[in-house]
Amino acid sequence: MDFFDRFAVPHPSLAIYASMAAIGLTVIAVFAGLTYFKKWGYLWREWLTTVDHKRIGIMYLLSALLMLFRGGVDAIMMRAQLAVPENTLLDAQHYNEIFTTHGIVMILFMAMPFIMFFMNFVVPLQIGARDVAFPRLNALSFWLFFMGAMLFNISFVVGGSPDAGWTSYFPLAGTEFSKSVGSNYYMIAIQIAGIGTLMTGINFITTILKMRAPGMTLMKMPMFTWSALIANVIIVFAFPVLAVLLAMGTLDRQIGTHFFTMDNGGMDMLWANIFWVWGHPEVYILILPAFGIYSEVISTFARRNLYGYKSMVGSMVLISLLSFFVWLHHFFTMGQGALTNSIFSITTMAIAVPTGVKIFNWLLTLRKGKIVFTTPMLYSMLFIPLFTLGGVTGVMLGMSAADYQYHNTMFLVAHFHNVIIPGVVYAMLAGLHYYWPKMFGFMLNEKIGKWTAWLLSIGFVLAFMPMYISGLDGQARRMYTYSEAAGFGAMNMISFVGAAIMAIGFVLIVYNIYYSTRYETRDISNDPWDARTLEWSTHTPVPEYNFAILPEVRSNEALWDAKKNGHVLFKGEYEKIHMPNNSGIPFIMSCIFFVWGFSFIFSLWIPVILTTIGIFICMALRSFEQDHGRYISVKEIEETETNLRGA
Amino acid sequence: MSQLFPMKQVLGFVFSILLTTVALAVYFLDMSFAAGMTILLVTAFIQAGLQLVVFMHAGETKDKGAIYTNVFYGLIIALVTVFGTLLAMIWDM
Amino acid sequence: MKIDNSLPLEYSTEENSLKILGFWIFLGAEIMLFATLFATYFTLENRTGSGPTGAEIFQITPVLFETILLLTSSFTVGLGIHAMRIGNKKAMISFFSITLLLGLAFLGVEIFEFVTYVHEGASIQTSAFTAALLTTLGTHGAHVTLGFFWGLFIILQIKKRGLTPQTTNKAFIFSLYWHFLDVVWIFIFSFIYLKGMM
Repeated sequence: MDFFDRFAVPHPSLAIYASMAAIGLTVIAVFAGLTYFKKWGYLWREWLTTVDHKRIGIMYLLSALLMLFRGGVDAIMMRAQLAVPENTLLDAQHYNEIFTTHGIVMILFMAMPFIMFFMNFVVPLQIGARDVAFPRLNALSFWLFFMGAMLFNISFVVGGSPDAGWTSYFPLAGTEFSKSVGSNYYMIAIQIAGIGTLMTGINFITTILKMRAPGMTLMKMPMFTWSALIANVIIVFAFPVLAVLLAMGTLDRQIGTHFFTMDNGGMDMLWANIFWVWGHPEVYILILPAFGIYSEVISTFARRNLYGYKSMVGSMVLISLLSFFVWLHHFFTMGQGALTNSIFSITTMAIAVPTGVKIFNWLLTLRKGKIVFTTPMLYSMLFIPLFTLGGVTGVMLGMSAADYQYHNTMFLVAHFHNVIIPGVVYAMLAGLHYYWPKMFGFMLNEKIGKWTAWLLSIGFVLAFMPMYISGLDGQARRMYTYSEAAGFGAMNMISFVGAAIMAIGFVLIVYNIYYSTRYETRDISNDPWDARTLEWSTHTPVPEYNFAILPEVRSNEALWDAKKNGHVLFKGEYEKIHMPNNSGIPFIMSCIFFVWGFSFIFSLWIPVILTTIGIFICMALRSFEQDHGRYISVKEIEETETNLRGA
Repeated sequence: MSQLFPMKQVLGFVFSILLTTVALAVYFLDMSFAAGMTILLVTAFIQAGLQLVVFMHAGETKDKGAIYTNVFYGLIIALVTVFGTLLAMIWDM
Repeated sequence: MKIDNSLPLEYSTEENSLKILGFWIFLGAEIMLFATLFATYFTLENRTGSGPTGAEIFQITPVLFETILLLTSSFTVGLGIHAMRIGNKKAMISFFSITLLLGLAFLGVEIFEFVTYVHEGASIQTSAFTAALLTTLGTHGAHVTLGFFWGLFIILQIKKRGLTPQTTNKAFIFSLYWHFLDVVWIFIFSFIYLKGMM
């Protein structure tokens, strides 16, 4: 039985057994359901093997929503544990695991797939393309991300979760202090998902640079596409750093090297350094597409063109470069000299400037606009003041001398939630409401949507503003409890109430999806928001080839041009359309990756070798395969177009 | 036969061997650390540029703007990462 | 499929030029991958713990062999692409085969070098320095190994299918990869070996 001992959770509790049962029952229910309704074939043909960017986008969305709730449960448990002094709801070990998985799940497995969803679904439509540059690579990216996320999530019930924080600093994450396989999960699961993300980056840069509709020069691209391009540039240069870092962490933990150990020359600080060389650009990978979504939403519902297009683009290009110049501000207190800290303090101040430019551009877009308060617009309007507050506290943290006071306190926790929740999460929700009709052919209910936005904002303010105060009072982050005499009780109780209100808000989103699916009208036009860019010029639902005739573009608001100035977007006759074939290889290869990762985590070397060979066989098969795609005939296009127009 | 060996590439190869020989001077000759590093930096970056332009045909299509931007962008960030790391971890520790 | 005859075969279709640009962007990512390894190596270079230093284990002879083998293979793969562009399939296959043989010889010398290191008490587990050194060299070596099989598959495909837009595209992209590995080696040669022995 020794062999099986390694899979046991080192620190079991009722919650973990309950999760085991829940995961087991869900898996059985899904399999039984698929078999009973005879949906296996459908699932395989239409989803598992698909290379269609719209479907891949929707799969990213589903994964992101699922992970939002996984990470959200972690969050509410943390707030509940801290709500009163000397609470015993969770013990120290569980608290450590929960704040670790909360961070990783929310950033890498919730926010990342959410922006991947927007990029996949929107970018090809917005630039008037029929698919991405490498559709099959895109499918592989998704499946690698998905398998990485699943692998990470089973850590909770098989072998134990990582517990060294989402930054996983050594020596804490080394074998000496983290004996369970938890940190192995961290290294391997993120590695697999990261490879997928890197390939997405390459794919979308190529797509945006080479596949734009005729007439769409770089400076005529819609703002979301610009933000996606810049975010992908950062991905391409930041994710290799993460790959190397995780590989070295794996070597240290499982092969016995001395990169980050305390003996034989190892340097634990190097982990923190390289982690943030990736980690800081990662922040901008998340926020830039969010800015892109706000730009689209604000200009649509202010009924005005975006103010300062060129300065918007310029500031993003500047951010992309500067984002690699500031990483050290995450560890001002680590012991390097004043010179180094000053240099990185100044670059940190500098990067706030282009961000400020963007805020002013949005405000000036609103000026003299005819503002329509829809749900996406409401989120954007809540975003501007709340995010600015987070930005200002960021500048406070960026001053290296003052940072000694704030470092690793709840002040920092309040700051980064203050930029990530109004910045990224609100953008995701605004975008979800905005693009929902294009995806599914009906709108989400506006009334429930606005209730959700207000609940989330009230909950957000209650949950995070007290942390600024308790942080300045000295409450350290990542402590699983505090004494009554410390005096943090009241603030933490308010935080808990806020977190509970936010939880209600997130449940309302699910209810809204259910409610709207049942009751909202299907009778909507292709352009229900009276929007300005190309994605709204094609049919709803979008046909698989996106555009029967590729549009010709004259300005950065091509559809608005067509609606107001009589510009003709679609000229010419139907021609047969070349489309890529579906392929099972990305899915199968990612499944092999999953087994590879699992075996690696538990140091089962024979399966590791076998699956490595399997991965290379998949690559070799791909190399020898001849697949020239297929054509959709003019007759089929005519039929589809007539049907869609009739509906 | 001679058309299989275009002048440009043969010269490129000869030049790259030459650069390697120059770099070897730091091993065979006795010189200061600064002088040695200067030689290595100069020869290595010329050699890399040579490969890029002569052998990799970086500038032959209309995508050359994107390709050069990509390479220089990568190079800048790479240098910032290497020197920033050294500054924080060694020189100013 | 639209074929533009004014361009070399490997660029001739839309898909082909997408793939070439996409691969260049991948090489941008590779620059950062090796930059991170170099940053690690330079940081840990003098942290040898109880193990040997670079000056104690580096030897000029195998390093020179490796450098010349790889430089020459970069030259021959360039000639292979030239032969491909003038439509000489036979010469192209010969040049590619020579390239792969040189690559194999490079790997042989590198393995010999690693074995020597281990015998001298410098295995990957010895110290921070040896970990960084062998990981950097190993990553480059793994790239060459992967390139060897990749090149082999391309030769087989060209033998079977001739010089088509697809096969020439693959061969061209492979040549980019191979030249890039040569560039990385130049940096390893200069800033790990020569700097270490200086």
